[in-house]
Amino acid sequence: MKKIATRIWLLIFTFLMITIVFMYVLTDYLYEQLYVEDTASTMIEVGTKLQTKYVDGPVTDELITDIETYNDYSNLNIFAVRNPRELSACVPFDIDYETLIGPEERKQLLAGKSVQKIGYEPRFDRQLISVVLPLVDQNRLEGIIYIYFPLAKISELASQEVVLLFVSAFVFLLVMSFFVYKGIHHIMRPLNQLQIAVEHMSQGNYETRVLVSSSDEIGKLSSAFNEMAEAIQREDEARKAFLATVSHELRTPISYVKGYSEAIQNGFIAKDQQAETIQLIVREANRMERLTNELLQLARMENEQKEIVLYPIPLAETLREVEQILTHQAQKRGISLQLTVDEALIVEADEVKLKQVFINIIENAINYSYGQSTVEISAVEKDGFAYITVVDFGIGIPQEDLPHVTERFYRVNKARSRSDGGSGLGLSIVEQLLKQLQAKIVIESELEKGTKVSITMPLMEE
Amino acid sequence: MTLKRRALFIFSLLQIVWLAGCTEKSFTPIEREKSFVASLNIQEPSLDFIDEKGEVMANWLFEKAYSGAVLIGADHVLLYGNQLSSIDLYDLTTGQKRFTKKVDIGTTNVCYSEATHQFFIANSKTNTVTSFDEEGNELASQQLGNYPMSMAATKDKLYVINYKDTKLSVLNMDDLAVEQEWPITKSSHGIAIIEETNELWIGGHGEGSKPNSTVKRYDLLSGEQLGVIEMPLMPIGLMKADDEILVVSHGRNELYVADFSGTVKWHLQVGANPFVVNKFKDLIVVAGYDDHTLYFIKDGKVQKAVDVGKGSFQLLVREE
Repeated sequence: MKKIATRIWLLIFTFLMITIVFMYVLTDYLYEQLYVEDTASTMIEVGTKLQTKYVDGPVTDELITDIETYNDYSNLNIFAVRNPRELSACVPFDIDYETLIGPEERKQLLAGKSVQKIGYEPRFDRQLISVVLPLVDQNRLEGIIYIYFPLAKISELASQEVVLLFVSAFVFLLVMSFFVYKGIHHIMRPLNQLQIAVEHMSQGNYETRVLVSSSDEIGKLSSAFNEMAEAIQREDEARKAFLATVSHELRTPISYVKGYSEAIQNGFIAKDQQAETIQLIVREANRMERLTNELLQLARMENEQKEIVLYPIPLAETLREVEQILTHQAQKRGISLQLTVDEALIVEADEVKLKQVFINIIENAINYSYGQSTVEISAVEKDGFAYITVVDFGIGIPQEDLPHVTERFYRVNKARSRSDGGSGLGLSIVEQLLKQLQAKIVIESELEKGTKVSITMPLMEE
Repeated sequence: MTLKRRALFIFSLLQIVWLAGCTEKSFTPIEREKSFVASLNIQEPSLDFIDEKGEVMANWLFEKAYSGAVLIGADHVLLYGNQLSSIDLYDLTTGQKRFTKKVDIGTTNVCYSEATHQFFIANSKTNTVTSFDEEGNELASQQLGNYPMSMAATKDKLYVINYKDTKLSVLNMDDLAVEQEWPITKSSHGIAIIEETNELWIGGHGEGSKPNSTVKRYDLLSGEQLGVIEMPLMPIGLMKADDEILVVSHGRNELYVADFSGTVKWHLQVGANPFVVNKFKDLIVVAGYDDHTLYFIKDGKVQKAVDVGKGSFQLLVREE
């Protein structure tokens, strides 16, 4: 399996190679084009000047000599030809030798035009660029001026330099590849660290963090990883704490039940006290049952993925039913329930869940009220929502505990624990239910004075 | 249905082709009593007929790649081509084709003998000369040297130059039996027979890229070389006139006029790359191959220049 860094490096290396080859080919091509063009124009220029030496009639020996002399001092190869055999003059006849110019070129020359040729010339046995200029007198091709220059390849011209060129290209490629390799590794280092961190995480080391050293994509990924790791760690701790709490909560009633029943079994408890002891066992068993029920409920709610169906419910009626259920419980503690409700309010909700919410909240209010006090329940319309408040006059909740009261097993008074009968799950359940009912809860409280719970929930749409 | 329609279509097509074939192309007729010099042009094959005033009487434009023409008698012209597998005979007075005869590819030259009413075809592929009567019936054939081309007929003899060989063959016109073989130089071309002095003159291009600049004189009967006449580069167009020999040198664009003894009487630079010269009444006619012009020369001066088709290569003369 190749690493990304290797792949990127290979890609860049390939591009480098392609670029070098392309540049070489392009340079060669451009050089040849410019070289050929330049040479051809020089040849035409020289040829046209030499052409002016010819006036008319047959090409003289003097002109041939003149051009030969010029050839001696020129870097171009120039000569004049007047042999009509070489000029394809005998073309209609079957000729058995290679002429310097062909019949088509002869036509062009007869018309007074120069001929330009690039390519292999058998007469000279090499690649040439040549220009042929006519010496014409009244439609007679008296002779030609033939100018040629060997078409040297760039490699032929620079046969020494070509080795240097290839070596330097190779060295350049090596150096560039090395730096690109280093560069990619530098860029990829945080990614490697991130990969190692992820491996650590998957092994359960949730305290793993990576160093965020840049603000680029990898930097953002690193900080996102850190946030994720923190969240996972928090969740893991919460899970552990929850498990500890659950086992602790269950162990207490179990030890009661176990202790009392063993005592009865071993006859440590007198007959007359046995009924009382059994009542204690029953109470603890009830507590266990309620605890497990509520845990089950919470777990079920968290698993409920799909949205529940909401339907119109007359709020006043629901509240009155809840009042009825709890009146007995309140009376036992000498607390009166006072219900003030707008009869016209119809909310969008699920009746069972809504009742559960009110029962939990009002039970809490009853449980934590001072004796002989009142729990005030009211429901009005406010800003297009149903606004329900439950106010008690009791011990209240300290400000620092307020944000945590909906957490599972969170108790304001840790020592108070089971004496007040609460499991510590009531408000957690309320919060979950209200989320399903699309309602919001606000808890305000003042220590030793009382608590006000406000619920805002959507009314039926007209 | 479609088959029927297709059959009908093909039938109609055949009908059209057949009808088109029926209407054989005919050229401008040349009146029987008119004299002319005709230029055979080979770059875009055509025949230009020109009268003694230098007026173009007719222009025959061909689709076939003819490379030569010869008058057969006074009223017919035979057209042939080196790459063609047939020869065509046209009637001048009607301008219509009289017959087409299949021949081997490689015809280099055709010579007509007025005395025997035969024509002879030289072939460079088979290296033969074959004789025919005026109706195109083959009479005899003879294997010769490499590339027979230039021919001249006199009395009962046919003189054939083997262009890529070093011999001239003398044939008996009747059965084409080889009677003599004379040593000559390669690339010889152009024959003039001077019966008055019993001589035969030949010109030539020269071998390879080395040009020839002489006309050689031979004894007509023995084939003995009698002498050499210096001429400008590549004298290949030879023509015997009444009392002089006309020679054109295409390498120097020169017309040389010599008497029978080989003395050059006068010369003139004329035309561009001329291959042929002929005598038309009292005019000397030179054809310029590169400048597509016929030059009418009288008293050593160009009287008239007439534009002809591209690549004037042969001159046919009819004098009435």
